[in-house]
Amino acid sequence: MQYPAFVWLIFLLLGAAPLVYLAGRLARLAPFHSESAARWAALIALLVAWTPLFSAWQQLESGPASFELGSIALRADGLSLLLATVVVMLSTLVVLFSATYLEGETGESKYYAMLVAMTGVIAGLGCAADLFNLWLWFEAMAVTSYLLVAFYRDQPASLEAGVKYLVQSSTGSVLVLIGVALVLANTGTLDLQEIQVSTAAGYPLLLAAGALFAVGFGVKIAMAPMHTWLPDAHSQAPSGISAMLSGVVIEAGLIALLRTLAALAGVTAAWGVLLMAFGVLNMVTGNLMALRQKQVKRMLAYSSLTHVGYMLVGLGVALYAHEVGGASGGFFHLLSHGLMKGLAFLAAGALLYALHAAAGSHEPLTISDLAGAASRYPLAAMALSVALLGLGGLPPLVGFMSKWQIMVAGFATHNFWVEALIAFAALNSVLSLAYYAPVVNALYREQPSAQVAGGATVPVLMQAPLALMMIAVVLLGLWPALVQGMTGAAGAALLAAFGG
Amino acid sequence: MQEYLILLAIGLPWLGAVLVWTAGNGRPRWQHGLAVASSVAAACATLALIPNMSAGVALRLPLGGVLGDFTFVADALAVSLANVATIIGGLAVIFSVSYMAGEAQLGRYYAMVLLFIGAMVGLVLSSGLLLLFFFWEITALCSYALISFHNDDPAAVAGGIKALLITQLGGVGLLLGALAARAYFGDDQIESVLRATATLPATAQALLAFGFLVAAMAKSAQAPFHTWLPDAMEAPTPVSALIHAATMVNAGVYLLLRFFPAFAAVPGWRDAIVVVGVITALLAALMALVATDLKRVLAYSTVSQLGYMVYAIGAGAIFAGEFHLVNHAVFKALLFLGAGAIIHSLGTRDMREMGNMRREMPFTAATFITGAAALAGLPLLNGFWSKELILEAGQAAGPQWAYWLMLLGAGVTALYTARMVWLVFLAPAGDRARAHRAASPMRLSLGVLAVGAWLSWLLAGPLSALLAETLPYHDLHVLSTLHLIEEVLSHPATYLALAVVALGLVAWLARERLKPLTARLSWLARAARAGFGFEALNSSVVWLVRGSAVTIQPLQTGQLNWNIAGIVAGLIVVLIALALGG
Amino acid sequence: MITWTPATVMVLGVIGLLAVGLYGLLTVRNLFQIIVALQILVKGAVLALVAAADYVGQLHLGQSLAVTVIVADTVVAVIGMAMAVQVKQHNRTLDVKALGSLRR
Repeated sequence: MQYPAFVWLIFLLLGAAPLVYLAGRLARLAPFHSESAARWAALIALLVAWTPLFSAWQQLESGPASFELGSIALRADGLSLLLATVVVMLSTLVVLFSATYLEGETGESKYYAMLVAMTGVIAGLGCAADLFNLWLWFEAMAVTSYLLVAFYRDQPASLEAGVKYLVQSSTGSVLVLIGVALVLANTGTLDLQEIQVSTAAGYPLLLAAGALFAVGFGVKIAMAPMHTWLPDAHSQAPSGISAMLSGVVIEAGLIALLRTLAALAGVTAAWGVLLMAFGVLNMVTGNLMALRQKQVKRMLAYSSLTHVGYMLVGLGVALYAHEVGGASGGFFHLLSHGLMKGLAFLAAGALLYALHAAAGSHEPLTISDLAGAASRYPLAAMALSVALLGLGGLPPLVGFMSKWQIMVAGFATHNFWVEALIAFAALNSVLSLAYYAPVVNALYREQPSAQVAGGATVPVLMQAPLALMMIAVVLLGLWPALVQGMTGAAGAALLAAFGG
Repeated sequence: MQEYLILLAIGLPWLGAVLVWTAGNGRPRWQHGLAVASSVAAACATLALIPNMSAGVALRLPLGGVLGDFTFVADALAVSLANVATIIGGLAVIFSVSYMAGEAQLGRYYAMVLLFIGAMVGLVLSSGLLLLFFFWEITALCSYALISFHNDDPAAVAGGIKALLITQLGGVGLLLGALAARAYFGDDQIESVLRATATLPATAQALLAFGFLVAAMAKSAQAPFHTWLPDAMEAPTPVSALIHAATMVNAGVYLLLRFFPAFAAVPGWRDAIVVVGVITALLAALMALVATDLKRVLAYSTVSQLGYMVYAIGAGAIFAGEFHLVNHAVFKALLFLGAGAIIHSLGTRDMREMGNMRREMPFTAATFITGAAALAGLPLLNGFWSKELILEAGQAAGPQWAYWLMLLGAGVTALYTARMVWLVFLAPAGDRARAHRAASPMRLSLGVLAVGAWLSWLLAGPLSALLAETLPYHDLHVLSTLHLIEEVLSHPATYLALAVVALGLVAWLARERLKPLTARLSWLARAARAGFGFEALNSSVVWLVRGSAVTIQPLQTGQLNWNIAGIVAGLIVVLIALALGG
Repeated sequence: MITWTPATVMVLGVIGLLAVGLYGLLTVRNLFQIIVALQILVKGAVLALVAAADYVGQLHLGQSLAVTVIVADTVVAVIGMAMAVQVKQHNRTLDVKALGSLRR
């Protein structure tokens, strides 16, 4: 039978995950006595995955593809493929990056297997066409990420972060499940498109279901005040996983939320307002909390809150005013944040490796540790600077362009309150520079810190993904049209799902 | 031809930036050479644009979709400022060859300087608002990176971040104006704003006009946003010359010049500009009078002179404002580079530790005093002509109270200039090491600029003709150089102004006799030293933000039960909100 | 007056389980008990799914959903328990108050 390409993508990744684990474990026996086979297997699986991904984009030109196997219904539109692209891209780079980072850690094979599985699960999540399936993919994503967050099992801090993440995330997914039950009871179906057809305004229980989805997925998206697990988990996970969590996992939650709200689009017009309100809350909370952080990764984690806020504003504008620019702007920011935050976490990870981890220390990386890093680690320091300044919205980096696109959409509504919201977002963007800039200054000091003076070297394999992502951040900042096709397709898909 | 020159003028310095960076800090000779070569090449490109000017869009790079097209225009306003950026920037780069010799991290220095020059050229040449804002923000990035070039010095880091935050804060005004323009006009072309602003609703007009004004004020260091400029003095001195003369601060004045025809009719806009210009010009002149750091005196004088330009625009004297912008760029670059030569040689910026430099650095002294005379507005130097033009226009068109205050400002300018020249060059030197003479790259830059300070006013005629020809929306009449001479020399206001300037100079010579008067004014000196309270305004904003951060931080308790409570609270709030508003 | 149909019983059961679970999550400080509370919460949701499916006349659907949820959630519970064991080994206590080193 002829399956659509996106199905191959998902099956390939899910099928590869156990093989990756097996490869690692077998190689450990003999004759290599190392689990490094797992990383090469993972890399091959992810590189191969690009082929079905490309053909899936090509097939999208003739409309969204669907697939059904028993009760599993999948449907790939622009939104699904954007998410799949971001996750496969980040995951490939993270595997490259992790090669030395995790060399010799216990559970190396598990790490790569889980990473590949998570990639496949997130690709599947974007394609789920039925409410319960969506929950199941979401739960599977959560399970794989629990293990990855608490990867350093013998480190109390990492364990603490894992426990909090697990309990809070599971609470959120229970809320989603209750929402599913409410929708089922009111509409008698779980298919996302059928739900939309059979709902009308004014069902209080469906409103409640929407609230449960917003809060339940909101835990994963880190919408304030459900965000409290995020700074812990994102800062304690291995840096590659931090990049995945901030760059794509919270965004996957966002896409799950958008899918469910789209199904409930007929119930109320307030979903857009709800998203914008959370956007404001997230920008403020993220910025103010990040302002006084001393640890680099924790600061980056809080900044993810702010950036989710920008995305929520763009998507909220799209839903509120049926402004397709807001949706494609929001998704452009999703992509650009994935790149920039991924780069920031990987660069911070490279420095963490050189300054602490290579010597077997699990100390967190503080901003003062970074003093003078640029002279010894020019590429990593420059990558971190580029990522931070891009996150702060400075040109010629991609963050400037994606924020601009969101803001243009806000003003296109000609609504005073939305315009005020955009002004507020712009002020927040300025404020965020107050914590990004000092890190850059520290990196380019001449007087090295004790850690830099005694640091190890950053291996080439770790630098390669940094260089690639840095080029992408600059290139898309100068020529954003390169990805407009993808983000435009995703935006159009979202509005189509909302019946706009 | 035009389109290639535009791409070269922006691209050459940027290419140079990449090359210098990749050359690596191990090869300083290459770095100096590449930097000089690419900045000189950029200057050639902008010079070649002069005979290739036109009013319409010269280059269009289609981006498609919501981003619209990137468009560039090469009219006289754009090309004249592009030339200021590349020529003065190029001289600053040449000066840097000896000033920065032996510094670590030269690659970062030159890369940022060249990026800065290219961004400034791009800023003035863009004819779309997105592109304008794009380059606008790059200049903010570069100024931040260069002001805090010496990252080990906490004052430099603080100064750089302050410049970044304040100019970005102002940039929000430009952003909102640009967004509003895009929402109403459907594209982001400057031409649309100039053509059709009058057709917009009043609130949108006000948002555009005042948004752009706020952005210009922050960039051009107008009160109350001026506080970043004195703190930016921590930068290496060639960078100060670059920021004060060639690039950064010109951008704000440029914005006002460019959009004047669109907003002149917006109620209150021109009055606001006049008020901002007067306040800034006077207060900054007073602060320059009491400062003891040579570079700070120059910084305040920049703020004050920018006030004159802004005032001129408010009074409707577009050409006078543009003319003073060009002249000021020349003599202020000269002053900064001269100050750089002295500071490089003495290792201090405090004027009280200088003195007698006339004998120790005669060439530098001669050129610096030329620049100072131009700043004070002494006849025949370039500053004289443009300042007289501004004052005459102010007397003819602006409110009279503003004119008299600006006249007073001219006197204060002469006074602080005299004080500065006296302290640095003429006063007896204390117990200190003797200065060494400036190196030849420094002398080259200083010499060229000193000649410029004598002669740049002769460009008035051609500049005016080209402006009138290529700016269809600006109502400009051609003023030939001969006409300028005639108008300035025959106008009674000129002699009044000269008398006030002379009074300022005499006041310095007679300072011992004026002791009783200065004692009476000691409250004013105290207020000026305290920066007239603008700094306190800054700190209160910082205090407020930091305070809110401190307040909400404990909300992250780290306790699992409280974290769950956050989820439950979120659910309850969303349910209630939807029940009420869904 | 409440009429005691199976539907009302199930709705009340769902509300009761959810309330107990949430109350536990908010007040209990022992990590094992928190995971138990989480399980109670999930069971409430499972019951809700079955009740909803029954209400729209698709009980078989509800049953298959319930089984799936229970399987998925057991995996979570196992991981949670494993973490709890590690916590106990490190902290010598299961009190979640001791899990408060990451804050601010």
